[in-house]
Amino acid sequence: MRSYAAQRAGLAVVQLAVLSVLVFVLTSLLPGDAADLRFTETLTPSQVAALRAELGLDQPPVERFVHWLGNVLTGDLGTSLISGGPVADIVRSSIGATLVLTLATLAIVVPLAVALGIVMGTRENGRVDRAITSVTLALSAIPDFVIAVVLVAVFSLKLGWLPATWIGGSLLSSPALLILPIAVLFGRTVCLLSRQVRAGTVAALNAEYVTQARRLGIPRRQLLLRHVLPNAAVPGVQELARTGDTLLGGVLVVEAIFAIPGFATALVDGVETRDIPTVQGLTLVLAVAALLINLGADLLCNRLVPRSEILR
Amino acid sequence: MTPVVRVVGLSATAGSAVLVDDVSFDVVAGEVTALVGASGSGKTTSALALLGEHGDGVRLTGRVEVGGELVVDGNGVTRAAPGVRGRVVAYMPQHPGSALNPARRIGTTLQELAKLHDGDPREAVRAAQLPGDRATLKRFPHQFSGGQRQRVALAQTLTCRPTVLVLDEPSTGLDSITRLQLVHELRDLAATGLGILLLSHDLDLVRALASRVVVLDAGQVIATDVLPPAPDLQLPGTSTAGQPLLTAMNLSASLRPRGRDVVLHEADLAVRAGACLGVVGRSGSGKTTLARCLAGLHERYTGTILLDDEPLPVLRKRSRDQHRRVQYVWQEVRGSFDERRPVDQQVARTAQRLRGLAPDQAHAEAVATLARLGVAAITAARPPSRLSGGELQRAALARAVLANPDVLICDEITTALDDHGTALVVDLLTELKDRGTALIWIGHDLRLVAAVADRVLVLDAGRVVEQGPPATLTTAPRHELTRRLVAATRIGDNPKTPPVHGRVSQPHAYCAAPDGHLAEQERRER
Repeated sequence: MRSYAAQRAGLAVVQLAVLSVLVFVLTSLLPGDAADLRFTETLTPSQVAALRAELGLDQPPVERFVHWLGNVLTGDLGTSLISGGPVADIVRSSIGATLVLTLATLAIVVPLAVALGIVMGTRENGRVDRAITSVTLALSAIPDFVIAVVLVAVFSLKLGWLPATWIGGSLLSSPALLILPIAVLFGRTVCLLSRQVRAGTVAALNAEYVTQARRLGIPRRQLLLRHVLPNAAVPGVQELARTGDTLLGGVLVVEAIFAIPGFATALVDGVETRDIPTVQGLTLVLAVAALLINLGADLLCNRLVPRSEILR
Repeated sequence: MTPVVRVVGLSATAGSAVLVDDVSFDVVAGEVTALVGASGSGKTTSALALLGEHGDGVRLTGRVEVGGELVVDGNGVTRAAPGVRGRVVAYMPQHPGSALNPARRIGTTLQELAKLHDGDPREAVRAAQLPGDRATLKRFPHQFSGGQRQRVALAQTLTCRPTVLVLDEPSTGLDSITRLQLVHELRDLAATGLGILLLSHDLDLVRALASRVVVLDAGQVIATDVLPPAPDLQLPGTSTAGQPLLTAMNLSASLRPRGRDVVLHEADLAVRAGACLGVVGRSGSGKTTLARCLAGLHERYTGTILLDDEPLPVLRKRSRDQHRRVQYVWQEVRGSFDERRPVDQQVARTAQRLRGLAPDQAHAEAVATLARLGVAAITAARPPSRLSGGELQRAALARAVLANPDVLICDEITTALDDHGTALVVDLLTELKDRGTALIWIGHDLRLVAAVADRVLVLDAGRVVEQGPPATLTTAPRHELTRRLVAATRIGDNPKTPPVHGRVSQPHAYCAAPDGHLAEQERRER
């Protein structure tokens, strides 16, 4: 277990190194830069060139990368070309809303998806299984913005029960704000997750070790909770990591419709204004979060069902 | 003596097919009853009826009484059936290793069973000859060797304190020394008053243990208390002179990169066209690693492997012709079949891919080869999950044979076969040998290896400790291991043979080093 953790963490470090290069190269490939975009109308070409030199945009890419990486390693994500403030501030101000939304969604989806997955898995191809499958698949098949528009139309405009948009203040202080966004995110996540738990349950129920436990007289309830669930959870945990990635990346449609100033909004703003340091900083934070989530998921799976060797 | 199990007129039907037809037998406390028969003869179906268990769509009728409770009657399985599982009848499946939950520490499951059936896990662990310390109980199944996993599964069944123990092919995959030990352990268990139902096609094991024998064939009892004679496996040992076809020199293999965990030390071997080289040793002695090196599957090795004096690379660098010329059949074949396609098609595929035969031609050849090995065309047209272990193993052999190989490596390919199946396999291999195929036959049963091979290597802890013609090895063995392998071939001949419990084969010493580093242990004890 411990050596597995060490190996897996080592792999994460390598991934991180590759990732930092990718983030830098891809953002450098964006056409145009901040100097182009903002000042062409008011400045002469020579002044634009001077500005570019001031911002360090005329340096060769390798040099800029080394400079950027050095700063990142010391905790400095750089300075926004647009606001002039540190990128870290932008990360801080935008990640709160996304985190709240993500965690609240997961808190509702995870227990429900596990329960549904087990119910479906134990009744493989039965009527209940088919019914739940149909409903969750249908929910996940409807695009986010359609659900969002319908929900807003019904609950905010017609019935007036729930607020349609964020109007400032903390999301936590007014939980009513969260209900509609979570309802939109709910469908797809619950579907994907419960499918995986279902598949895991079916596989575990058909496994020889569960047959043997049953033959040794272990009652059904105990069999499900202690023998089936730990094995069934493995594909679920891996799917959960993917869900977590997606949610953290900010679901642009949800943020846009409900006017929540989250991560995706900040990222799109950065790209639109060619604010390269901001885009790099946000992408890097997101990528690191994804790495950590997947690292955590893999370690958890290894704890659930220890295997001697995975890195191959 | 009142029987603890009474089976009277048991039948199992699936639609119009009759799987088990009017089978009756008793199991008596303190004695071993054996159900004997080829794979597919209905042994397991009959035995699972004691638990009131049956496959989907199968109907049980007759009368099965277990520990005074009626489990099956004329109307099928009764309500009392779930209550006897574990508590009265405990069942050990054929591959107990996969019957352990990979997600649970072995101690957790043992405690759970103990609580349920009022047993004592420590006592059960001791009876199953495992070290009962805390560290062992905290380990996960994958941290045990194959042999130890079998013991863990046994400890689980014993924790339930059953009155009847059902053992399904317990000697499958055991080397002959371990098998001898199994005989003594089962005798000890029976002596404690346990009624044992032994399902086996291993007639030597049955002769050594059982006081009652029921012979099944195609679901019917064809004899009681009489054992069918073992077919004669004597073969002429023909060796052809000439250049070696496959040569390995100075072959060392390790499990981990950069030569850590060496499992094979500087082995040399050569086999000529039309000859058969036997390799024997206990489990864990490096036999399979040796085979995997030659087959190109094990890449962490040093040394030279030559085919016709040309270096033979690892599998993924071999040319199509090299693929065809060297074929490997291994022990656990189920995973090597695609579960969605019929077996005969998969067998035919090698002839299509490696020899460029037309599909229908390849299929005809596949069906013919399978039939020779006793797998009927109608059986082979099913997906692998519908074939028994023995049938699949023969299908795997047929698949390799269809490549028309120059070198065929057979790694313990008869473990799931009954005597008849083994004879069919040996017959086919003899013919291949006569046609000039070089065989490498790996086994733990020295008697069978000696009957098939022209020359035998004895491996112990990864080293070749002795080699020579089989006649010399069996009559004048020089190494201690060879002597014990020779002694172990005699379990069926004389059940009264005293246990070969020398210093080295003490059960505990054996469990501590399940991988049979015999030579090393001996050196330490001297």
